[in-house]
Amino acid sequence: MEIVPQLIVNSIIAGSIYSLVALGFNLIYDVTKFFNLAHGVLAAVGGYAVFFFYKTFGLPLILSVVIAVLLTGLIGFILDKLVFLPLRLRKASDMVLIVASLGAFTAIQAIIAILFTSQFQTLSQGSGQNIYEFGNAVFTQTQFIILASALIIMVGLVWLLKSTMLGKAIQAISDDEEVAKIVGINTNKIISYVFFIGSAIAGLAGVLVGFDTGIEPTMGMGLLLKGVIGSIIGGVGNIYGGVLGSFLLGFVENFGIWKISGEWKDAIAFILLILFLLFKPKGILRK
Amino acid sequence: MEYITHLLILFSIYGILGLGLNLIVGYTGLLSVTHAAFYGIGAYTTAILLTSFGINFFLSIIIGMIVSGILGFLIGLVLSKFKGDYYALVSFGFNIIVFSIFLNWQNLTRGPLGIPGIGKPQLFDINFYNNFNFLILSLVFLLLSWLLSWFIVKSSFGRVLKAIREDEQAIQVFGYNTHYYKLAIFVIGAMLASIAGSLFASYISYIDPSTFTLNESIFILVVIILGGLANLRGSILGALILIILPEALRFVGFPSDIAAQMRQLVYGVILVLLMLYRPQGLIGEYKL
Amino acid sequence: MIMNTLLKWIVGIVIVVLIAWGGYVLYQKYSGSIDGGVATGEPIKIGFIGALTGDAAAYGEGARNTVALAVDEINKSGGVDGRPLEVVYEDGKCNGKDAANAAQKLVNVDKVMVIFGGSCSGETLSAIPIVEVGKVVLVSGTATSPDLTGKSKFFFRTYPSDAKQGEIVADAANAKGWKKVVAIQEQTDYALGYYKAFENRFKQLGGTVTKEEFATSVTDVRSLLTKLKNQKPDALLISVQTPAAGERILKQLQDLKWKPALIVIDILVNDTATVERNKEYLEGAIGADFALDQNNQKLQNFLAAYKAMFNADVPFTSYNTAVYDSVYVIKDGIMAVGLDGEKIADWSRTIKDWAGASGMITIDANGDRASAHSVKVVKDGKAQF
Repeated sequence: MEIVPQLIVNSIIAGSIYSLVALGFNLIYDVTKFFNLAHGVLAAVGGYAVFFFYKTFGLPLILSVVIAVLLTGLIGFILDKLVFLPLRLRKASDMVLIVASLGAFTAIQAIIAILFTSQFQTLSQGSGQNIYEFGNAVFTQTQFIILASALIIMVGLVWLLKSTMLGKAIQAISDDEEVAKIVGINTNKIISYVFFIGSAIAGLAGVLVGFDTGIEPTMGMGLLLKGVIGSIIGGVGNIYGGVLGSFLLGFVENFGIWKISGEWKDAIAFILLILFLLFKPKGILRK
Repeated sequence: MEYITHLLILFSIYGILGLGLNLIVGYTGLLSVTHAAFYGIGAYTTAILLTSFGINFFLSIIIGMIVSGILGFLIGLVLSKFKGDYYALVSFGFNIIVFSIFLNWQNLTRGPLGIPGIGKPQLFDINFYNNFNFLILSLVFLLLSWLLSWFIVKSSFGRVLKAIREDEQAIQVFGYNTHYYKLAIFVIGAMLASIAGSLFASYISYIDPSTFTLNESIFILVVIILGGLANLRGSILGALILIILPEALRFVGFPSDIAAQMRQLVYGVILVLLMLYRPQGLIGEYKL
Repeated sequence: MIMNTLLKWIVGIVIVVLIAWGGYVLYQKYSGSIDGGVATGEPIKIGFIGALTGDAAAYGEGARNTVALAVDEINKSGGVDGRPLEVVYEDGKCNGKDAANAAQKLVNVDKVMVIFGGSCSGETLSAIPIVEVGKVVLVSGTATSPDLTGKSKFFFRTYPSDAKQGEIVADAANAKGWKKVVAIQEQTDYALGYYKAFENRFKQLGGTVTKEEFATSVTDVRSLLTKLKNQKPDALLISVQTPAAGERILKQLQDLKWKPALIVIDILVNDTATVERNKEYLEGAIGADFALDQNNQKLQNFLAAYKAMFNADVPFTSYNTAVYDSVYVIKDGIMAVGLDGEKIADWSRTIKDWAGASGMITIDANGDRASAHSVKVVKDGKAQF
């Protein structure tokens, strides 16, 4: 039973990372109503951007992180302007948008691999990190930051949506895009901001994962799928739902491998998703 | 010459994969991203039967089709509860689950160690180690797959599929049990993919789970979207282009790691460009 | 509608032209194979399969450099019967699929009679069925899985099998009084082979071993390590395919604040750079290596020549010295029985006390090098016997 505290810690960390991805993904889904499969690769962009600025360029740590996150947001913004906006203007079907996002994901991942090689790299410097103990559980400083970030971003987004004009516009678009346009909201502009914010959050997730374990070009899809699963089982369209679902997923995964072998982690996550979709398709929390 | 034979064999295999997926995505409008799973099932069935039990290759193809068919039925059953985005997402999930099984059910598949030494077909006295003979075999299967697909498409069954794609509710009003049709075509597509897998396993003589990932499913999707959805010749064309294209890159002289990534980059860009400017592909009849 | 048909025609013609042109280019490039020709000075083509990219490039690159160096030396001193050697390098990426493709190309397209490789046991296992059909001899200085013993008459290796490695390490662990060992093992032929050899012997001696496995693509193994830590073992066995994976595990052990006694696979102790980088955590770890005689003149020449040519020390010294020797062994083989894969393979079984940089080489009937590893311990940042 001594293993339980550590498993709890591991679950919370995993849940936090998935939450970050889910938060960004949910935000974009709310306004565009399609599964942006390119969202995951933006996490990789964030991770590699930090790698580039911090390790290759030698900029100070905090600055590198900030630049990386903003850069990722920018790339998400550009992606919208170049690919998704023209398609939306043409009233393209969801299938087209998904396939286009698949294409963008494949292309961006390949570019990262070409620029930085497919090899796994680490962001941290090896030894010298603060490690905290909590009973029988152990966690690192980075992991603590991950948890803190997830909570801060969640609170931040809630504030954004409820208390700012931008947030209200976003909610209006999410409820009914046509009506929002009629009321005079420049929906495309708002949507592009949403892409920026959502992508930046994904970039942050990538940065944190990079410091926690490391980066490789293919890291994006895995994170995205977990984030999506978290969003769906927690309740699509509900911010708290995405976070709840992600933590739930983190727990099921980590406690699952206690008894079942670790290699089945991904399969467990998807089986959970399919079960939810079959029996409780709206997820746990209502919108 | 050897090299062209090699390319054409790969082309035949992907042609069969494309035909099967086109029936599902192009003709019926179901965005399935799990085709590689059935490709893998055919490959593993043949690999295991040939290496551990010495069973005849052609028999293994049939067994592979049966296994794929059954699994396709079960997966198709679950998928039929979903539409559009969710259909694609859940199909993703199944690809990952099946891949996990390939990777982790090590008593059966040897997991990441893969299965080496898969033999070649036995038919009369033909030496299938001669790749030219293998090519003829693959082309024969491609032809058979084509005939099957053509037959389905031209029949009333095929017309119902297209109707489902265009407006499922409308045709339900007419009393057609659309669930049955969608399930049936999914199973047929799965079985075709299985044939391609069996051929692949015997040709390369070694398989491991890394061939049957999401990326592979996406690649097959690119093949049929590029060539043109709901057009059988389109699948063949798409397979041809996407097999030849990377070889051109090889001669530009990129180191092999970068060449592989360049290929991925090209696929991604092709998909995006197609969606933006020509969603019906080169000679397709269905705009996504 | 005429536009549509016209478009189709244009597309069709362009495609056909592209294919025809492509075919012509390929035909030019690949037609005309070079057999053991009559013409003197005609290069002898030899194949090489190794991990040139990816985590395992640590081995593949060293091996490629070594082969290039040996071939260069041989060519400068007259080649083989006056003919220079020419190596075709293929990237096996340390996995069976790419190695199978590489082998197919080398055997069917380049039509070589000899292939050096693979760097990884998985590559070798997958290439063997292909070289058997093509009657090509395959020789490796780095593929050490016990599964390769006697696998094919067309394969032999100049490095001893891991069977012995696992045994002596188990003996050493037992001698330290360790009874309960847990292991973390990467899912590859090489890592699995080492684990099995250790497990067999350790159980014979009355100890217990349990393991957690992880796939090469999995980078975060902390939950697995947590499970193992919970079992409160006497020692942790690390069996990985590449130093990179080993280093990740060491870092994650740090993150979990767990510093168990370590038993490690040979690649973590037989490369000075790797040991130096991780000396803090590897202190006291036991592993095994194939001992080289530092007084061997050929060895010293090789080390110096490598440094001169590549401006770096030979990585994984014991492995690459075996690779170096394998090139010269093949040279002797070709001179003895001619450029014929099957004949060279048969001849290899007769190699006895062949004087190489790695010592006296004798190949047994199974194609294994008859020799063994010795135990090494990491002390003060260096691995010592």
